[in-house]
Amino acid sequence: MRLFDRAWLRPLALALAAAIHSGDPAIGQSLSLEERIAQCKACHGEDGNSRLEKIPSIAGQPEFFIVNQLVLMREGVRRIEAMSAAVKGLTDADIEALAKFFANLPARASDEPIDPQLVKRGGELATKLRCGSCHLPNFAGHQQMPRLAGQRVDYLIASLKEYRDNTRSGADTLMSVVVQGLSDADLAALAHYAASR
Amino acid sequence: MSSAWWRRGVLAAGGFAFLAATVDPGVAQGPPPGFSPLDKTNVKASKQDESLRPHATPPTVTPVEKIPVDKLRLPPGFRAEIWSSGHPGGRTMVRGTKGTIFMGTRLIGRVYAIVDKDGKREVKTLLQGLTQPNGLAFKDGSLYVFAIHRVLRYDNIEDKLDNPGDPVDLTDKFGLPDTIHHNWKYVAFGPDGKLYVQVGANCNICEVNPGTHAQIRRYNPDGSGMEIVARGVRNTVGFDWHPVTKELWFTDNGRDWAGDAGPEDELNRIAKGREGANYGFPYCHAQGLPDPDIRVPNPCAGTVLPAALLGPHSAGLGIIFYTGNMFPPAYKNVAFIARRGSWNRSQKYGYDVVVARTSGGKATIEPFMTGLLDTKKNEFYGRPTYLLQMPDGALLVSDEQNGAIYRITYGPKTAGK
Repeated sequence: MRLFDRAWLRPLALALAAAIHSGDPAIGQSLSLEERIAQCKACHGEDGNSRLEKIPSIAGQPEFFIVNQLVLMREGVRRIEAMSAAVKGLTDADIEALAKFFANLPARASDEPIDPQLVKRGGELATKLRCGSCHLPNFAGHQQMPRLAGQRVDYLIASLKEYRDNTRSGADTLMSVVVQGLSDADLAALAHYAASR
Repeated sequence: MSSAWWRRGVLAAGGFAFLAATVDPGVAQGPPPGFSPLDKTNVKASKQDESLRPHATPPTVTPVEKIPVDKLRLPPGFRAEIWSSGHPGGRTMVRGTKGTIFMGTRLIGRVYAIVDKDGKREVKTLLQGLTQPNGLAFKDGSLYVFAIHRVLRYDNIEDKLDNPGDPVDLTDKFGLPDTIHHNWKYVAFGPDGKLYVQVGANCNICEVNPGTHAQIRRYNPDGSGMEIVARGVRNTVGFDWHPVTKELWFTDNGRDWAGDAGPEDELNRIAKGREGANYGFPYCHAQGLPDPDIRVPNPCAGTVLPAALLGPHSAGLGIIFYTGNMFPPAYKNVAFIARRGSWNRSQKYGYDVVVARTSGGKATIEPFMTGLLDTKKNEFYGRPTYLLQMPDGALLVSDEQNGAIYRITYGPKTAGK
């Protein structure tokens, strides 16, 4: 799917993903697992590693994390406009199958440039904030806590800002306090460090 | 990849204009600040295993054959069975006058309605997409739903379980803090007809504004006439009134990251005439332990000490006084307490239901329902959260981890239940 491997095509990719269900509710009910997987790949990457700006990689995420997020999106607790149509009508079994598939794909870092200075500063911050306590020392994630290693830098920065500014819907409260009061530069350092792991 | 199906979708949608309409209206967008910036947790000083973290709650249905009812152990003559299942994250339980069991949840954001149909339980997802709707109360045909600071009243709810319609929004009348942490509400109507409401400390350990946090409040059912009935309460997650003395007894969860040994969770009583008393948070914990991270002179001066300790990090949640006739007389007017089980402790603890026998403002604790914790493997199989007494005297126990309710009975097996 080289078609979506460019940032300027991101809105189109999002729209496609959303269109698949909203257009015809009957289609959403009858998709096979293969079709659903293809739908995820349209934005999150052929191999589950996203090449699109601010769209997260889902390859190698903890299975439970993917299940949890998809359920919360389906329930309307995690409100993400681009995902709401795709998760509508997913059964628990659909969600478990999708999670299993993407959890078993190898995570690969994006081709975004990584700044070694920021990595160094981010590493010091991460030790101080004890990120590895929940995300594991290798940042591979665990249960409901996501993998950060190899995640897209731009997505990590955007997410950290949402936590800091309390604009992330349906998130638990602990992440907000961890990043409270950090500057944009701090968040960028954390993102570069995590992505480089 | 075959791409015919998504092309079809795009064509059917006729373009991209639908994108804006994909978010349901009517629910607040974006959460308010959750956790106090004044938190003073010092993990290093606790000398605890720094990798301890809360256990995840499955958001999907646990198959009936995987629900660990066979592991439950009870005193002789009692038995447990699965009463209902298929309600992931189900915690709090209240019973409507027509027999509906309403269940509140936390992260999954649902309120369930469970009804009897042909001798079996039918589970309906009544409400969806709320922020931690753990607080439920029922009075005069109305279901009160507390979701952090939002307060919604659904009138004549049992006549419209398939289409609850729009609630009466009492949020502004109650004026509760919108901080999320430790504010997944517990609420209940007292014998005085007032609605009692938990307002937890939005931190692990911090200075709180005593006028807004770490309290139990009571209100008139319409949200007027607020009074603070207990202060210095870190996070009560359950309370009930003694059937004889009519005094309020409440569980209170102790702070984390001050050692595996505690401070222990508390069972407290508000003695008659002592409404508004102070229960110690954040300076004084459990049996009178000064806080290690926020130090003040005379930390326990003026603090009401607990009626009983409920164990280190055990997470005592729901409490009910038993008034039924099914159980032996020795259980009359004793309290059952569900302990959800520890996370901030290397050796897991709790995951059970205990009995509290109260006398003269003190209580003794003894085991009742065990078996969900394997202490050798340090593994747990379920997490009891709340309790409900049924009209026939049976005791319902919700297991949040497995999305199930167990029914505890005493005596000969009753058919069909």
